[in-house]
Amino acid sequence: MEIDIIELSERSAKFILSDVDTSVANGIRRAMIADVPNLAIEWLELYDNTSVLYDEQLGLRLALVPLTMHPDYVPESECTCNGEGCPSCTLNLRLDAKGPKTVYSGDIFSSDPNVRPADDNIPIVELKEGQNIMLGAIAHVGYGRDHVRWQAGVACGYKNMPDVIIENCDGCGHCIDECPRHIIEIKNDEAYISPENMIKCSLCRLCERACSLKPPAIQVSYDPRSFVFTYESDGSYSAKDLVLKAADVIENRAGKMAEILDKI
Amino acid sequence: MIPVRCFSCGKVVAAGWEEFKKRTEAGEDKGAVLDDLGITRYCCRRMLLSHIEMIDVISPYQ
Ligand SMILES: [Zn+2]
Ligand SMILES: [Zn+2]
Repeated sequence: MEIDIIELSERSAKFILSDVDTSVANGIRRAMIADVPNLAIEWLELYDNTSVLYDEQLGLRLALVPLTMHPDYVPESECTCNGEGCPSCTLNLRLDAKGPKTVYSGDIFSSDPNVRPADDNIPIVELKEGQNIMLGAIAHVGYGRDHVRWQAGVACGYKNMPDVIIENCDGCGHCIDECPRHIIEIKNDEAYISPENMIKCSLCRLCERACSLKPPAIQVSYDPRSFVFTYESDGSYSAKDLVLKAADVIENRAGKMAEILDKI
Repeated sequence: MIPVRCFSCGKVVAAGWEEFKKRTEAGEDKGAVLDDLGITRYCCRRMLLSHIEMIDVISPYQ
């Protein structure tokens, strides 16, 4: 397995994963979406809500606000307290606001200084004169497979590494006009795609259809063992930690699988 | 209120709403502002482009 990082920022990343099967690439993608543990608000204790939003709407909006994940937190079901609720599986938050005012995610007060909303400027609700909100919230660790509130990986996807072969080209340029990614150029009277542009190809094959020659001089193919991976994080993890955590999850599961097989 | 996340991909789009509203009301090109905010996929872009604030319409009947 080889990894070649193209872009890596706090919230998004792009890398080439090569010399692996589709199952590995898809395993990582699915783990990032569904199997990475994440903190999110699950319960509300409402003392006062005279805003225009119903309690349930307010609850959904608060639940979808990403909270920065701290590795000390574990899911209730895996906690030593057997789901009774303790500081390592339960986080209390508070939100008090008096109108007129727009309430932002940054106004949520967390009882743990290590955990706070990943973005401070998400509007929760706009309060008019005389409208109040007063609530306590309980956040739990969960998995993206159960509800979006726990989904840490956003728009995780991959495509095979494109490989466009150009042979016997007459340089008519029809494919250049057709390409939606504008990556084909003319070099030495032949169509040409530079290596740094090749990765942008969406494998749409419009260039093949536009070619006036039969069989087409330009042929789109791909490397079945090489993947261009792109993903974003919702802010609960950094992009780097997210993919590492996903790999951990897969490793853990593979370990459990081996244990089960040993017992048989 | 603007939905917190994109319906399709789950990206937190609400964090860019206030800036989007302010800058487009000042006359900036909507597409350019969205590019600036890093909202590049069209599923997320439609969340902001098609959003209508209803809160001032509803609040008198509260
Ligand atoms: Zn516990
Ligand atoms: Zn989206």
